[in-house]
Amino acid sequence: MLETRGLTKNFGGLCAVNNINITVEPDEIVGLIGPNGAGKTTVFNLLTGFLRPTKGSILFEGMDITSLKPHAITRLGLVRTFQLVRILPEFTVARNMIAASHLHPKIGLWEAIFNTSGYRRKEKEILAGLGEILELVGLTEVKDVLAQNLPYGHQKKLGIAMALATKPRLLLLDESLSGMNPAEVENALGIIDLIRKRGTAILLIEHNMQAVMSICDRLYVINFGTEICRGLPDEVKQDKQVIEAYLGSGKKHA
Amino acid sequence: MKLGRTKGWLLFALCVILAPIVFRNNSYLLIVLILCGINVIMTSSLRAMATVGQMCMGSMAFSGIGAYTSALLTLKAGFPFWAAFPLAGLVAMAVAAIIAFPFVRVTGVYFAMLTLFLGEVVRLIIVEWNSLTGGVTGLTGIPPMGAISLLGVHVDFTSLLPYCYFVFFVMMVTLIVLYRIDRSFLGTTLAAIEKDEDVSASVGINVIKYKALLFCIGCFFFGLAGSLLAHYMRILNADSFSLFGSIYILIYMVAGGRKKFSGPIVGAVVLTLIPEMFRVMKQYQPLVFVAVLFFVLYFLRAGLADLPDKIRHLIKKTHPGKAANA
Amino acid sequence: MWDGVLQGIFNGLASGWIYVLVALGLALVFSILGILQFAHGEIYMLGAYVVYYACVVGHIPFLLALLISALVMGVGGIILERVMFRRIRGEMEPAILAAIGLTLLFQTVAVIAFGGYTKFIPSVFPGVVKLGGVRLSKDRLFAVIMGLVLTSALFLVIKKTKVGKAMLAVSHDPEAAALQGINVNRISSLSMGIGSALAAIAGGLMGSILQLAPHMGTFAITKGIAVIILGGIGSISGAVLGGLILGLVDGLIPLYSSGTMAAIVGFCVIILVLLVRPKGLLGHD
Repeated sequence: MLETRGLTKNFGGLCAVNNINITVEPDEIVGLIGPNGAGKTTVFNLLTGFLRPTKGSILFEGMDITSLKPHAITRLGLVRTFQLVRILPEFTVARNMIAASHLHPKIGLWEAIFNTSGYRRKEKEILAGLGEILELVGLTEVKDVLAQNLPYGHQKKLGIAMALATKPRLLLLDESLSGMNPAEVENALGIIDLIRKRGTAILLIEHNMQAVMSICDRLYVINFGTEICRGLPDEVKQDKQVIEAYLGSGKKHA
Repeated sequence: MKLGRTKGWLLFALCVILAPIVFRNNSYLLIVLILCGINVIMTSSLRAMATVGQMCMGSMAFSGIGAYTSALLTLKAGFPFWAAFPLAGLVAMAVAAIIAFPFVRVTGVYFAMLTLFLGEVVRLIIVEWNSLTGGVTGLTGIPPMGAISLLGVHVDFTSLLPYCYFVFFVMMVTLIVLYRIDRSFLGTTLAAIEKDEDVSASVGINVIKYKALLFCIGCFFFGLAGSLLAHYMRILNADSFSLFGSIYILIYMVAGGRKKFSGPIVGAVVLTLIPEMFRVMKQYQPLVFVAVLFFVLYFLRAGLADLPDKIRHLIKKTHPGKAANA
Repeated sequence: MWDGVLQGIFNGLASGWIYVLVALGLALVFSILGILQFAHGEIYMLGAYVVYYACVVGHIPFLLALLISALVMGVGGIILERVMFRRIRGEMEPAILAAIGLTLLFQTVAVIAFGGYTKFIPSVFPGVVKLGGVRLSKDRLFAVIMGLVLTSALFLVIKKTKVGKAMLAVSHDPEAAALQGINVNRISSLSMGIGSALAAIAGGLMGSILQLAPHMGTFAITKGIAVIILGGIGSISGAVLGGLILGLVDGLIPLYSSGTMAAIVGFCVIILVLLVRPKGLLGHD
């Protein structure tokens, strides 16, 4: 479903992402892990068109999406969340969801102006759809709360909900569990599993090792922009290079 | 809240319908009402563009294009007003459409500067293209709207009262269209673009397309407003559509406030009426604008339309007991 | 024929240096206060009128009148900074709107106080210098010399003096500069002061070459913004380059077409720059 070939990104002299080749199949939950600054978010930015790769290509469901813009990529079904939650803080939760429901169904200019029956039907459809997603992530009670007044964990959930409103085939979750306590993490993992069951594949960046091991089907580990290991969680857990990458060689900082 | 909105619209519609009849014998006031109506059209269109974050400083250029289109079609090409009027809007919109896509990629203060220079270029082209537009001296003798006979009723739009109603009619249509866009879920899309373009893009919103769309729609109404001006004033020259004209519209919008839909309406009405009410010499009129502008900028950032809310807020703060009853 | 072109070039350079002086002040305020001081053109206009009244009515020698105007408007600029712009430093939109308000205010007051008719400052250095077939009016020569001198002075101040280096620091990062112990408020005031002074001198020079009118400020601010866009935001050498280029356009195109056409061409160039390379020729921000 998703395939990158030789994905590389240089910033001036710095190579942030080097020859990354990853794949994601439908119905999979794949993890992209690595120490801080390894380039994981850069990979997401490349995948979703926020950055242009220096070299390499990205194929999504057979189509080359390397040079597409973010909104076009979202239209094709590849959506991301942001590491530092990016939602629309001055809108209510419901309004955020309405904005996110932009693509499904699409509202035309004339039908909006003339308030046609077609438009009113679409309005109902959107409201029903967002109700369903909010229930999935557990935000139904706070529907009318301003997003900026939500606790951080809820804001993260809203980010995921908004991504879901675009009816993605593949969802890129960037550190969606960070800042959550164990109960919230448990809850979030349940949601992620539900998302997979609804038919959306997932590629996630995460630091919470326990969570990653428990929910991911496969893992890729990168450090300094390069892949250092791939495979099943159990294999990766025991890989020497991976352990070293996370613990450091011991010499570094004091 | 919803009830308040409907009440507001009804009240507004009532004023719109009654005012011209009430003042039907006062030519001066009718003229003021006509100008009010035209200014409301332009200011609301400017706000529509601003809802996607575009501050346009060359809006009068499109009014100018609409005005000259309408004037030339009726004066030189013998078109009837009823054909020239919509064409004025369409031509302005066509010009907007041609430049829209490269223009809306530019953001922030750069877009403001871009539209400022666009406005100047249009004005200078009008001056330079003597043969077509009459250059600095402009056009005179633009035909008035003329009369129509419908079902045995004869209405002569050359006189002020019917013309005022026509202007108000166009104004209401403009407002309803813009209101529907704003209130609908499409309006939420546009508001999202203004708040955060990256988030909007990541949920699939084609930011450039919508910015261009709003730009074209706004310019369409500016074109119509220009035509209304042309056929009211019956003379035109390049100075009618200068940078200062665009700046005045911007001031109307800022003074009224651009968050609420009613903002530009309040701003345009207040700033068209107040100078007339104070009956100050023409030379001093801009000072009234300046006073209102500074008042809003330093004391009432959200604009005059926000005044009722602000007052309610102040009452709550100073009389907490009253809040229970408010 | 070539004489005509050379004449056009010379006249263009004279106007060009005036544009440069206007743009320098505008660029300075933009870099250091982070706002587009839309009323800069009005300071130019008021400066011109101060020179006029000092010179024509007060019979003060032109150079001294320029100096007085620079001081008066410089102080005026500082007052404006403290009263108005300090609060909204860095906030582009309110600053532009406030400056627009000032523009309206000053223009209206100018029309009331000075009358709507154009005025002239009689030739300060009458006569011309003949160079081949080209007549270099001494007034215009003086403008060119003033432009060169003041621009060089500004360059030197920024590169060599402590204050200048402080200004450079603030223009790059006001917070970091503050942490280094630089008094950002004082630098802001100083920049407004210098910028306004330069605008005033530009106005006085223009008054001596061409004419004065209450709406000359609109012309100046439009040209000033055009120059800094062309030259590049944040670049002083860019302001010089941009000003001279636009000056040459204004000097040469009327030979083949008209003054209006020159303005159209100039503004179209600016529009292209904004669309294609918003950084401008030498800009770095």
